[in-house]
Amino acid sequence: MKNRTAVAASWLLWLWLAAVIVGAFEYAPLAAKFIGQSSRILFFHVPMAWAAFTAFITAGVYSLRYLFGGRSQGSPRDPRHDRAARAAIELGLLFGVLATVTGAVWSRIMWGAYWNWDPRQTSIVMALIFNGAYLALRDAVEDAEKRARLAAAYAALGLVVTPFFFFVVPRITFSLHPEPVINARGRVEMDPRMLQVLLASGAGFMALFFWLHDLRTRVLAVADRALEAAAAGAPSAGSARATGPSAPHLGEPTMPTAGADPATASQRTGN
Amino acid sequence: MQVSGGIEWVMVVNLIIWTGLFLYLRRLHRQVRALEASQEAPALEREP
Repeated sequence: MKNRTAVAASWLLWLWLAAVIVGAFEYAPLAAKFIGQSSRILFFHVPMAWAAFTAFITAGVYSLRYLFGGRSQGSPRDPRHDRAARAAIELGLLFGVLATVTGAVWSRIMWGAYWNWDPRQTSIVMALIFNGAYLALRDAVEDAEKRARLAAAYAALGLVVTPFFFFVVPRITFSLHPEPVINARGRVEMDPRMLQVLLASGAGFMALFFWLHDLRTRVLAVADRALEAAAAGAPSAGSARATGPSAPHLGEPTMPTAGADPATASQRTGN
Repeated sequence: MQVSGGIEWVMVVNLIIWTGLFLYLRRLHRQVRALEASQEAPALEREP
């Protein structure tokens, strides 16, 4: 029953985002002061940036839950929260890079160059570097518990840093960038049809992010369980499958075989 | 419909990319479910 609901929800998402694509090209009017059809990129660029921001905040929230959730009752830290935070950062980087690339394409059309050192362009790249360093930090620590704890503390810091880069830095200095959806006067001054498509796209990309996040978190959990089974010397079905031809489909590095050194294996997965 | 020039093609390419990504994710979802089930089965067998 749960699986049927998930399947129905995923098809609904397909339909929703397909409708957004059609709406972006055929329903929404062209915006004033934009060259040619370039305003249509807004319906993908902005929701991607929203999804990236949501992802980084999600990572921070899961990291706080990892660090403090259940600690008052003396229960051990929950590795599921660590995996969820890692998956959120990875997806935040993906959406952030896509937002930057689509922004650069639009910038080429409007301002004549892919890169202009505009405050908003620069600040999102700073946010990406900050969050990208999270993955570098994970790779730098061998001990699994220590790695998860340090990474969680770093990602929790992102709860302050990410909003600063997304909302404060672009407003400090003059920017070529168009006004945000809610402008400085606190109003939404956008054609209603454009706003409808933009909000629908935002909702669709948010749902896509949470679906991807669920999938990635589960892939990481499967890989972790396979590693634990390998460390215990008992080959699990997951590890056996993951070393087979289906492994690349999960986007995971090759799992160790039974009896492999768990520390080395853990390093290999970068988890 | 107010579609001009090649923008219709851009829309079609977007739809194809989204459909391809969606089908890939559906497939990945099934694979993860299968792996989760295969990992849970031996654990259940070991329980007293």
